[in-house]
Amino acid sequence: MPEKHDSTESRVTENALEARLPTKTMSINMGPSHPASHGTVRFNIELDGETIVKLDPEIGFLHRGFEKSCENVTWQQCLPYTDRLNYVSALCNNFGFLTAIEKLAGIEIPERAKYIRTIGAEMHRLCDHLTCTAAMGMELGGFAPFLYGMEARELLWDRIAELTGARVTTSYGRIGGVEKDLPEGWVQKVKDTLVKVEEFRQEIDQLLTLNRLFIDRTRDTGVISAEDAVDFGFTGPMLRASGVPYDVRKAHPYWVYDRVEFKVPIGTRGDNFDRYYIRMQEMVESISIINQCFEQMEPGPHIIEDWRYVMPPKPQVYSTIEGVIGHFKLVMEGVKIPKGEVYSYTESPNGELGWYLVSDGSGRPYKVHCRAPGIQLVSGLEHMVKGSMLPDLIPTFDAINMIGGEVEQ
Amino acid sequence: MSVEQLQRIAERFPDAVVEGYTLHGDETLVIKRENLVEVAQFCKNEPGLEFKLPLSVTCVDYIDEKPRFELVYTLYSITTGHHLRLKVRVPEEDPVAPSTIGVWRGMDWWERYCWDMYGIRFSGRGPMRRLWMYEEFEGFPLRKDYPLRGRQPLIPEADVRDIYRGPGPGPGSPPASRSNPPRPSQLPIVK
Amino acid sequence: MTDEKKPSLPSGRDEATPGGSAPGIEKGPTTTPPADVAQRPGGEAKPATAVPNVAPASPAAQMQANPGMVNVTIDGIPVAVPPGTPIIEAAKAAGVNIPFYCYHAGLSIAANCRMCLVETSNSPPGKLVPSCQVPVAEGQKVTTNSPRVKEQQRAVQEFLLLHHPVDCSICDQAGECKLQDYYMEHDFRPSRFDMPKWMKNKRKDLSESITLDQERCIMCTRCVRFMAEVAKEPVLGAFGRGQREVIDVFPGKKMTSNYQGNVVDLCPVGALTSKDFRFRARAYFLTATPSVCTGCARGCNTFLDHFQGVPYRYRPRENMDVNQYWMCDIGRRSYHELYEERVSTARVGNARVAPAEAVRVAAEKLKGGPVAVVVSPVLSLEDALAVMLLAREGLGAREIFLSGRADGEGDDFLLRPDRNPNRKGVELAAQAFGLTVRGWNDLGKTKAKSVLLAGVEVPVADDQFASWLGNVDAVVALASNDTPVARAAHVVLPLATHAETEGTFVNFEGRAQRFLPAYPGRDDVMAGWYWATAIGAELGLAYRYASAREVWVEQSKRLPAGALGDFDWDKTPRNRLKGVTPLPGGTVDGRPAGWRQLVPLKTPTSAA
Repeated sequence: MPEKHDSTESRVTENALEARLPTKTMSINMGPSHPASHGTVRFNIELDGETIVKLDPEIGFLHRGFEKSCENVTWQQCLPYTDRLNYVSALCNNFGFLTAIEKLAGIEIPERAKYIRTIGAEMHRLCDHLTCTAAMGMELGGFAPFLYGMEARELLWDRIAELTGARVTTSYGRIGGVEKDLPEGWVQKVKDTLVKVEEFRQEIDQLLTLNRLFIDRTRDTGVISAEDAVDFGFTGPMLRASGVPYDVRKAHPYWVYDRVEFKVPIGTRGDNFDRYYIRMQEMVESISIINQCFEQMEPGPHIIEDWRYVMPPKPQVYSTIEGVIGHFKLVMEGVKIPKGEVYSYTESPNGELGWYLVSDGSGRPYKVHCRAPGIQLVSGLEHMVKGSMLPDLIPTFDAINMIGGEVEQ
Repeated sequence: MSVEQLQRIAERFPDAVVEGYTLHGDETLVIKRENLVEVAQFCKNEPGLEFKLPLSVTCVDYIDEKPRFELVYTLYSITTGHHLRLKVRVPEEDPVAPSTIGVWRGMDWWERYCWDMYGIRFSGRGPMRRLWMYEEFEGFPLRKDYPLRGRQPLIPEADVRDIYRGPGPGPGSPPASRSNPPRPSQLPIVK
Repeated sequence: MTDEKKPSLPSGRDEATPGGSAPGIEKGPTTTPPADVAQRPGGEAKPATAVPNVAPASPAAQMQANPGMVNVTIDGIPVAVPPGTPIIEAAKAAGVNIPFYCYHAGLSIAANCRMCLVETSNSPPGKLVPSCQVPVAEGQKVTTNSPRVKEQQRAVQEFLLLHHPVDCSICDQAGECKLQDYYMEHDFRPSRFDMPKWMKNKRKDLSESITLDQERCIMCTRCVRFMAEVAKEPVLGAFGRGQREVIDVFPGKKMTSNYQGNVVDLCPVGALTSKDFRFRARAYFLTATPSVCTGCARGCNTFLDHFQGVPYRYRPRENMDVNQYWMCDIGRRSYHELYEERVSTARVGNARVAPAEAVRVAAEKLKGGPVAVVVSPVLSLEDALAVMLLAREGLGAREIFLSGRADGEGDDFLLRPDRNPNRKGVELAAQAFGLTVRGWNDLGKTKAKSVLLAGVEVPVADDQFASWLGNVDAVVALASNDTPVARAAHVVLPLATHAETEGTFVNFEGRAQRFLPAYPGRDDVMAGWYWATAIGAELGLAYRYASAREVWVEQSKRLPAGALGDFDWDKTPRNRLKGVTPLPGGTVDGRPAGWRQLVPLKTPTSAA
């Protein structure tokens, strides 16, 4: 007499015939060109169904030999290379690098230059956060917020182009200050632009922040605890999303960050939504910082006058021997930074951008190491999405905001 | 960052510390290779030091000096707000250093970068993989004796059966040789 | 750059117990230390005045420790130097570089530039003393970096630049100009001068090879002193006073000395320029390779300045035993033959062939019948050794004939009548292999059917010898320049000059001097030892050499013992000086900044 199966019994007992289906994980390759990945990264993913068992990001498609190139050119010629590291916020890279050189050489830049650097960095921070949040919306399916973000970014780029001459690869700073002073009427234009940018930001906010689809995709996905985030070396919005209140601008103020008032948003759950929302709030703070800088700025020199570090002005180069010697030596041999090493750090939109410079006293760097915040973020990606579904990878990777230029240098 | 913290580490590991100094406001500790992991753990776990945030590992190639390579670890403590730099010298003949990914997982990719760019192996973490360059790359690019525009040999195309790809190496085609890889137009179309 | 350097211990620590007590952690200065203290980056966090292993002893103890020497302290660094040394030299021994213009170790002391003024403890109160002129005194304390001295250096620099023409963009000296260097180091301020600059003669011909720009001159009088003391032809003088002062030749005189080229090197600014080099290259593009002049048998040490495989000039390198600080004009101009009319491809008849083919044909031609081996003493020692090896064992010769350039006029300073750099070396090589050395005149009497010319420099007219060669059955020539002699040869193998390979020249005193390769040769150019080995391999010899060093290591054992004194092949002159060269475009194999690595010469095994 066969056993009677209790209809409420759902578990199959061991001695009952059961077909054990062999399963294996599926390896798929989310290849270097993929519309949903920010930049060229290759993911070797092992999936069990739709759960990610293993994730191995493979980078290096944009490696251009930044460090090696820097070792072969003069200090000033390194500056365009730094533009192309985090190309979405080039001014932050420029100024971070120059701050490190100035720390090594013991130079104090004039006040106005500090304000200009802060304004530039915050404007490019706005650009970077706009790119990240807008792209996050786009990769989760909403194209409209992306276009709003791009439009806002275009407006900002127009202002940056008026200031520096280029939208993205600015090469604006110089050792000892900035290249040129603010153009006429630029301040008012920027204030108007920021009003527009705030409008766009609110549009994106209204489209995404309370959006059911967006919240479902980003809430509680890509979670990382504070302790793990610190252990992985996360910095920036990723770290703050997990609740760790570390922002270089507040912890070790540089330029004029100790004179402007701004808040640093801290997350609670360490998920993608927090990261997105922190970026949205940081944009508000950036706009406020820029406006405060405009109020506090005084007229003054925008670069120091020391011709060991700064190119003499052209009228003097063509008419005085001192000018032509200074110009000549600086161009041909490079700025002679005293021997030594330094580690200097600023808060870039993605985290703490560190610069480790070694100088051997000649006009060329001996070693330029850029501690890109993105590297550790991408290395922690596996930890964040392991065990989640494949679609959770998308918002997580967006929230990391990996910029290929800085991660792969 | 205070000199007292450096001195605490130095007192705890008198044999490990070779030198300590401050330069341009950065505290630096030069330690010996063998003691790297225990010093790292002490720095991370000791209350008052708590260097829990690993910022980076990089390597500097002092080609004219012996030992040649210098690994530079940059750490940060969120609770105390201090940066610390640990330096370890690694000789050229034996470019191995103990791995610190047991202490901080964030050092993983930076150690891969040191291997990729300088050839420094890290013990205790399985075979080293390149980070930025492709695996078949020969040499270590950031070493000072690697030329700026060095040439690399051509990598033979891997034999991949891909039904969507069309002309390529297929059954019956000659093996791809290093010096003379077959051009796609020369090979029969494999259906 | 230091070589054997372990991570250095902080000063003040007990060296006997490394790590025994808690090591002292130091807070170094946060100001920038002097850039010329040669330590690795980060090392100068220790105070610049600390010296690791010398504790300042009491004066009595010091005097006992260094008998016969004078003890001085320069910027806190104690040094002991022979009595009579000027402070500036003592400072160099301590690693402190005091700036100067008019001082030169090989000339008398003028002390007119006032750039080297320093503070000393025993100077008259309130006065600075010129360190080039003042000899050291026992227990003297010299300060070169006090604010007063720094202001003095800045002020002198500013004065020198007052009427200096704005010529950097067209001046030859740019890149190696002391005014530029010291301006950036000591006076980096803008100009305060708002009057028109004083104008003088800008292109005065002092001779056919030297041009004087009187505006650029800073009146250091180095050239005047040189011509009077070293060249022994006192035709230059300083005329006028104040800002009208100029250097000029005495009326009716011209510079004719064979050593006038040295004033161009001496001049710290671009006032004296060599017409041969003018406007041809920028100094910071040039790499300086230590080399030896091949103009005569003295073998003055030189720097060969080259760029992208082309030599641009010779500069003398200091060697107190051979040429002190100078070289003659004949040697200076000899760089032209390094690149003019070169043979760069192997030829059989008039047709260019592959090197391996040419070697094969050469070996065939030399195989039958007696061969007259003619060796030019312009070949390096290693080339000569390989050729002798080939002659002895491959060709069965018993004698070699010495060719070379004809003798000229010597003088009583540097120039030797023998215009070949390596006669002694070739003779020693022949002796090593038991080959008799025959003179040039004996060559006419040989009954040889074929001739092997190792080097085509002949003491008679080229055409005359070329027509003599027409009577010989087979001529194989290792030629670097495409002379009529080379064109008369049946097989020509392109020979590398001393700029393209490394080796040794033995000068007339028996002094062996090493030279380094500057750039790889064009096309198929290879060194003499390479061709000799290749021909020998074709003839069945078993020797294979991949570098000049291998030739030396194996064959130098045959040289008579003690012939070259305590010569060490591996002890090469100071490595090539780095130019501030931007990366030359068009190179396939780039080089890291400052490191001039050569694409390695092809090995003999690739010939066969």
